[in-house]
Amino acid sequence: MLLQLNNIFKWVQQGGKRVFLLKDINLQVEEGEFISVMGPSGSGKSTLLNVLGMLDGFDEGEYHFMDESVHSLKEKHRAELYKQYIGFVFQAYHLIDELTVYENLEMPLLYKKIKGSERKALVADMLDRFSIVGKKDLFPTQLSGGQQQLVGVARALITKPKLILADEPTGNLNSKQGEEIMELFKKLNQDGVTIIQVTHSEKNAEYGSRIIHLLDGRKVEG
Amino acid sequence: MNTMFKTYLKTAWRNLLEKKGQSLLNIGGLAVGMAATLLIGVWVYGEISYNTEFENYESIAQVMQSQTFGEEIGTGVNQPMQLAPVLRNQYGDHFKHVVTSSFTNPMLLTVGDTKISRQGNFMEPGITEMLSLKMIQGTRDALKDPSSILLSRTTANALFGASDPMNKTVKIGTNMQAKVAGIYEDLSKNSEFGNLTFIAPWELLKTTANFEERVGWGNNWFQTYVQLQDGADLATVSNIIKDVKYDNIKNGDNPASIRTKPVIHLHPMKKWHLHSKFENGVNTGGLIERVWLFGIIGVFILLLACINFMNLSTAKSVKRAKEVGIRKTIGSVKEQLVIQFLSESLLVVTLAFMVSLVLVALGQSFFNDLTGKTMGIPWGNPFFWMTCMGCILITSFISGSYPAFYLSSFEPAKVLKGTFNRGQGASRLRKGLVVFQFTISILLVIGTITIIRQIAYVKERPVGYDREQLLYVPINTSEIMTNFESLRNELLQSNSIKEVAASDVLITGTFITNGGFDWKGKDPNMSEEFNTLRATHGYGEMVDWEIKEGRNFSREFKSDSLAFIVNETAVAYMGLENPVGEYVKWGTNGNFKIIGVIKDMVTQSPYDEVRPMLFTLHYGNFLNFINIKIGKGANTRQALSHIEAVFQKRDPESLFSYTFFDDEYARNFLNEERMAKLASFFAVLAILISCLGIFGLSAFVAEQRTKEIGIRKVLGASVVGLWKMLSKDFILLVILSSCIAIPLGYYYMSNWVADYAYRIEISWWIFVISIAGALAITLVTVSFQAIKAAIVNPIKSLRTE
Repeated sequence: MLLQLNNIFKWVQQGGKRVFLLKDINLQVEEGEFISVMGPSGSGKSTLLNVLGMLDGFDEGEYHFMDESVHSLKEKHRAELYKQYIGFVFQAYHLIDELTVYENLEMPLLYKKIKGSERKALVADMLDRFSIVGKKDLFPTQLSGGQQQLVGVARALITKPKLILADEPTGNLNSKQGEEIMELFKKLNQDGVTIIQVTHSEKNAEYGSRIIHLLDGRKVEG
Repeated sequence: MNTMFKTYLKTAWRNLLEKKGQSLLNIGGLAVGMAATLLIGVWVYGEISYNTEFENYESIAQVMQSQTFGEEIGTGVNQPMQLAPVLRNQYGDHFKHVVTSSFTNPMLLTVGDTKISRQGNFMEPGITEMLSLKMIQGTRDALKDPSSILLSRTTANALFGASDPMNKTVKIGTNMQAKVAGIYEDLSKNSEFGNLTFIAPWELLKTTANFEERVGWGNNWFQTYVQLQDGADLATVSNIIKDVKYDNIKNGDNPASIRTKPVIHLHPMKKWHLHSKFENGVNTGGLIERVWLFGIIGVFILLLACINFMNLSTAKSVKRAKEVGIRKTIGSVKEQLVIQFLSESLLVVTLAFMVSLVLVALGQSFFNDLTGKTMGIPWGNPFFWMTCMGCILITSFISGSYPAFYLSSFEPAKVLKGTFNRGQGASRLRKGLVVFQFTISILLVIGTITIIRQIAYVKERPVGYDREQLLYVPINTSEIMTNFESLRNELLQSNSIKEVAASDVLITGTFITNGGFDWKGKDPNMSEEFNTLRATHGYGEMVDWEIKEGRNFSREFKSDSLAFIVNETAVAYMGLENPVGEYVKWGTNGNFKIIGVIKDMVTQSPYDEVRPMLFTLHYGNFLNFINIKIGKGANTRQALSHIEAVFQKRDPESLFSYTFFDDEYARNFLNEERMAKLASFFAVLAILISCLGIFGLSAFVAEQRTKEIGIRKVLGASVVGLWKMLSKDFILLVILSSCIAIPLGYYYMSNWVADYAYRIEISWWIFVISIAGALAITLVTVSFQAIKAAIVNPIKSLRTE
């Protein structure tokens, strides 16, 4: 088992009242799964994803990730953990505008303090795998949306994470580009990467092996 | 890590290139600030290292004398020539050297046909060891021969050129001769003895001027320098010798002068330059105050520039926040981000530093003009570069710290999702920093206006005499005075010359004081002191002083040789009801009759109150200046050539020189005007830097509110309305700054003018002008961005969504 959420609650105080963002969420994810999270706006999809990605905390409950109890870990250890095992893909790609494609891909490796030669090899490998070798010296703004997201996915994969968290990865793409990204995810999943994606599209959700529906912070049986 | 650092710099560099205008603003502002601080730093270093080139810096001291005049204790360097021998013979254990010295003055040096005027002094031989003269030729001992002279390398070159100067004869002034016995390396310009370009033996002057016979313990005409014995404590020795003069007068030739209760004490070389001020006998400071003031201003100016940098980077934080979010999700920890932002600021600061070096090189001569110094940037000094490196690091840290620690603490989930709060804290801090900048700027403006007003006020002070077309020629040879009447007649032959009179001091600086007077009704305990001026007939008419009672000196009354003309202050000082006709006894000089009272004239510092003055008739010795009045409407050039011809004929040995009293008087303002120029310079810099800051900041505000402005316009807001909205915040900040600056400015400037007896009131309009100026400048700066943002077509700004 890759991760497990037990009775997760998350809330904010608003006018003296608790407004629940996540309410009693229980979830088990096995390695190699491809999960789609669906639900209307404000239902807590992204919050759930951020909690899973350890970018955001929660107020109650337990979170186990690969036998580590995330809820009792210090910030620094949590960062270590997600740096090593989790890759993120965003709807708005979130590439660093000042860096070239090559440098964007290299960035996570630098943070992991991987040596120069190995870094080069890994980046070259990734450029090759995604057929973007010819674009390596371009800046993000010189690419189309689909290409940017391709780089985004490549960047998420370059540290060889066990889990990819994707927040509406096709949200800003046209249908053809979106389809390509989903096919890519499908292939990655077949290669053994666990994927959890948030999506609005029924069609994209179907790529997953399991669909979780959220409504007002609660899991509902779909 | 290395590659990481490179990526940081790469990102930073691309960031700079992307926003060229902002980067220019940022680097430019910082560079200006750094350049100013660098110049001030070099100046401060020069002042602090003054005199330090002397090996015996720690053990050299000057003997000072404090005397009590009425309520006040005056302290000066002047000493009787009898002091040094007593210190040497009776207190010799404490001193390595005791040296009597005259004052360093320009003297005429003549070798054959070569005549030059050079600054030099007559000193006892110990001075050569004391100052560790670096002898190029001859030895330090050479000065022991009373017929010798030591020349600095420059003076020797000027006199002898390529030929060997040793053992050649040099004529000093008109009546002394000495043989060149040594050449020494020029002394550092940045020292008390920087203008000591020749040293002649004290013995030579003493014999020539016949001092032995005519000057006693009461004549404080000289200076005494000492070098303490190794291990001797200055304060202890100072205490041991404090009554030497008092005791010698008590048992000596002129017991009357004991009333001034002379106390002698040592003033160490390390305090000469920066701590030269004595108030009531206590060493209270001096130039050090200005060193501190400018040092602080320098730091503040740099701080203002750093603030711009901080403000602009926190303003950029909305954009940078996204980057922080991304970097954090792909694995950066906080420390790495901190390092990233600090290295960015290091890059900017380094660039700014390089620009500032160019600015310094360009602005150096201008700054030297302002400070009246000739300092160079020590390009070759490793210490200088180390200090610069240190400054770069500190500046980078200050400028980069806030963005570094603030931005790096963003939570990625929030920034990336867009629920990120735009940072109330940051904007409040930004406002606080802008208030700080403007407080400093307004303070400097208030200071500048006050200084300029004070100078103008003193300049307009009526002096009570007529300086127009009045000049003086210094007397170099006694022959001039022996034949004074014929000289006068010859000068008056030209009808362009109205009057000629000799005097011992100049009317712009009557520094000679005398005591030992007695008159009817004088308080026996009063230790009186008058400033005196001795002059020949016609002096009063020449300067056109105003007689209030009695009459001028007249050739018709032989008895006028024992007569005083006094000023009003002297009348009040003596407490005389009907001064004219009263007699004043002046020691052994005789009984002087007061024949006239004149209106007070400004004959000392125009900043001070008028002191009691006595004017007497005098011919012969002690007169130092020929004062000449050129008639109104006369041709000045013709008059001058006539004067020069007459003096050349009568004193062919000396170099003819003359000075107009207008120029002499203007010297009173050199120091203050320098202060005013520096203050204006700093004020302009501070305002410039602050304006660069709000210029950049208002651009960001406008950018941030583009959407809001668009919506408002669609809903019907006018350009004027938007301009008001965007400018209002900044105006409020400036008003807040004014509220802080006014009391501070009032406090500091009241203290500053309190140093001057003749001073302005600090009036309200100074504050009004300063604030109005600051507001106007702010408005112009901010409006540029505000109007630019307000006239954009709203369709454009809203389309980005």
